[in-house]
Amino acid sequence: MVNGAIAVELKGVVKSYNEILAVNQLDLTINTGEIFGLLGPNGSGKSTTLKMLMGLVTPDAGSISVLGIDVQKDPVAVKQQVGYVPESPRLYEFLTGIEYLDFIGDIYAMKAEEKKNRINEYLKALQLEGREGDMINGYSDGMKQKVALISAFLHRPKLLILDEPLSALDPRSARIIKDFLNQLKTQGVTTIMSTHVLEIAQAVCDRIGIMYQGKLLALGNMKELRQMSMLPDSGLEDIFLKLTGTGDTRAIVEELLK
Amino acid sequence: MNWKTVLILMQVDRKSGRLIRGRKLTRFHENRFLAYWPYWTALGVGLAAGLLAGVVYNTAAASDVSAIGDFKDAALSIFLSLPTLVLIYSVVFTLFQQIQRSGVRASSQVPYWLPVTWQEHTLASILASLMGLPLASVVFIATAIITFSPFGGLVVPAVATSLAVFAAAFMASATTEVFRILQVRFIGAVYKSTGRAAVWVRFAGSMVFFIVFYILYFYVFYGSGIVTFIQNVASVQTVAWFVPFVWPGLALFYSFISGELLIGLAFMAVSILFIAGLFLLATSLNRRFGLYEPPAITVSHGAYAPKTGLLGRLGFSSPEAALIRKDLKAFTRRRELMTIFIFPIIIIIVPFFQTFGSTSAQAPFQFSIFFAAYTFILPAAAMAMALGNFMIGEEGQAVWRIFASPISARSLVKSKFFFIVLFSLIILVITGAVGSVIYHLTLRAAIIAFFEGFFLIFAIGTISLSNGIGGADFTETPRPRMIRQRTVYLNLGECALAGLAVLAPFFPYVASSVLSAFIPNLFDGWVLDPVLALVVSAVIAIVLTVIFYRTSVKNARELLKKAEK
Repeated sequence: MVNGAIAVELKGVVKSYNEILAVNQLDLTINTGEIFGLLGPNGSGKSTTLKMLMGLVTPDAGSISVLGIDVQKDPVAVKQQVGYVPESPRLYEFLTGIEYLDFIGDIYAMKAEEKKNRINEYLKALQLEGREGDMINGYSDGMKQKVALISAFLHRPKLLILDEPLSALDPRSARIIKDFLNQLKTQGVTTIMSTHVLEIAQAVCDRIGIMYQGKLLALGNMKELRQMSMLPDSGLEDIFLKLTGTGDTRAIVEELLK
Repeated sequence: MNWKTVLILMQVDRKSGRLIRGRKLTRFHENRFLAYWPYWTALGVGLAAGLLAGVVYNTAAASDVSAIGDFKDAALSIFLSLPTLVLIYSVVFTLFQQIQRSGVRASSQVPYWLPVTWQEHTLASILASLMGLPLASVVFIATAIITFSPFGGLVVPAVATSLAVFAAAFMASATTEVFRILQVRFIGAVYKSTGRAAVWVRFAGSMVFFIVFYILYFYVFYGSGIVTFIQNVASVQTVAWFVPFVWPGLALFYSFISGELLIGLAFMAVSILFIAGLFLLATSLNRRFGLYEPPAITVSHGAYAPKTGLLGRLGFSSPEAALIRKDLKAFTRRRELMTIFIFPIIIIIVPFFQTFGSTSAQAPFQFSIFFAAYTFILPAAAMAMALGNFMIGEEGQAVWRIFASPISARSLVKSKFFFIVLFSLIILVITGAVGSVIYHLTLRAAIIAFFEGFFLIFAIGTISLSNGIGGADFTETPRPRMIRQRTVYLNLGECALAGLAVLAPFFPYVASSVLSAFIPNLFDGWVLDPVLALVVSAVIAIVLTVIFYRTSVKNARELLKKAEK
């Protein structure tokens, strides 16, 4: 698959949880080799969308194609080619870091030598060397996040779906992950990430989609988003607050100061 | 010491029990009267019990005046054993409370950033540990004996006993507090120093703890009996006078029974000193280790070398083998899963104590056959049932890893079922060997019983797995649930029916063997040769296994589709 080809396509996707409409008629196309940021306030439907891409949540209507595969028809084939980090990755706390990564390598049927080399490379890069033999229940949140990220990268997936990937990471590791995602992009790996840290989205993502109340409110690169919001010199934070109609923060602060 | 702070800390500690009980706190409002219902109930029941005992005493005394002295002596000997009894079960219950709390991660975090002294924290922790059954029982005992005391003219001994009972409960809780701190500090150090062995230290330690607990439990309740136990406590404490924990009981004994008031007062004084010493020890240990972070358990050192694995050579795919290896580690490292290995041991222990008590009487022949089959078949079948129920739900909230991984429903069921069969077979071999040796089975009988157990594992294992997948509950707070309650009952019923179906061909044979002494020629014409019965049994088991294995795969497909639930 070459850059420019379609990696992910959602058409008319709807998902509701009882009376709550989480995703409402979502149409979205993401190209191969693109780093796509999915933003939105809490409860806007981002995580549900990412889970639907993985086949973890079944849409009520619409179709989803990931890397040319219908997610509903063959979720296992999609999962084979995707690396996923959920919002709060719960790991097997009774395993050591190395045992967990070994388990992940086996799940993706990696060859022993390749698995060993990659695990060692990632452990070294993210400064987990020396702690890989400890049980995960002794890890800090940041270390657990690193293990979750390594487990998403380990099998060299064609698509990365990352929900708040940099949360709890130290600045050095966050920088490494950002640079790494950019390098993967040049190799044709597509990344879809959801984050609340708008600076990260602005710095890393090629295109950004802003979701609000289950709908895609705006879509484009920074230049296009500025035009849409009619805020030509603003950063992503102002654009986001204006588009989602949650920008009147000054009055709230004044009320708090009373 | 700020007593208000102690009270506030106790309230916080008491409320951490909500996590254990799994209370949902949405729009929660606590009714203070209802929150303390165990103590009001204990007070009411104690009053009623005391009055009833008083009326009975008066009636008995009126009909036989000469027996009054004997009644008083009996009442006094019960009084003096109460502090030691309260101490014993308070230690057990406060220890259990600590285990429960650490299980749900509800241990109260020391609020070191708040203006709280270590004395206040320690006292609050000791008193809060008493809340619940220990304190309710102290309230009950004190109310009952004080209410009874005017009838028997035992007011002073009753008040003294009530104080001694509370002192014993406090002593027990302070001891638990000391053990809790030492456990946090030193078990952590043991883990650090033993490396990979730490896992096995914890596994073996848990096994030993539960086995000792259950043996004691069955000894007390089915062996010597609770009355003998109380009598033993009363007589032993005067011999073991040098053990500080029996000093409150001895203070009562010397003051009110032997009439040596000075010695009684001396024991009372040293009891108070001992309690103060325990409190100071707990406080200083808390000061030193209260904020101690146990080190992470290091399981492996050195260069990492991936294993090719025996499972791969046995025909399992890489993901299947990975799942099996992961589950093997889970069942030796997770406390809540380790306890599953206790079932077979309990099943073997129970009939010994329940049937023969603590005596060494030989079982009748008919019972031998029954118990041999019991030890052969039940533990392995129970293990298959329990594992089948838990194998999917034990994934807990980390189940997202299964959902997000390229694992098919077939692979998931295959790996989980292999694990169930493997562990149940190990249990079958061990308990079968024990049963054969104890009940002197012939080789032919042992082989038949072994195969019967083998068939049951397959049939019950698949039924339980299919239900375990359908009723999996991945909730981890307040505690890992693993399976929905309703599914457990449903599964129990299905497994019982399946077990009866598989064993059915043997019923006429067993019934006619056991009852032949009483009813000759019973089931004549219906008794199958055991080998033929085994073949029929195998056919039934295979049919059940195939049906429920398919159901398991179907349920697994549904589970993987409905990941959002």
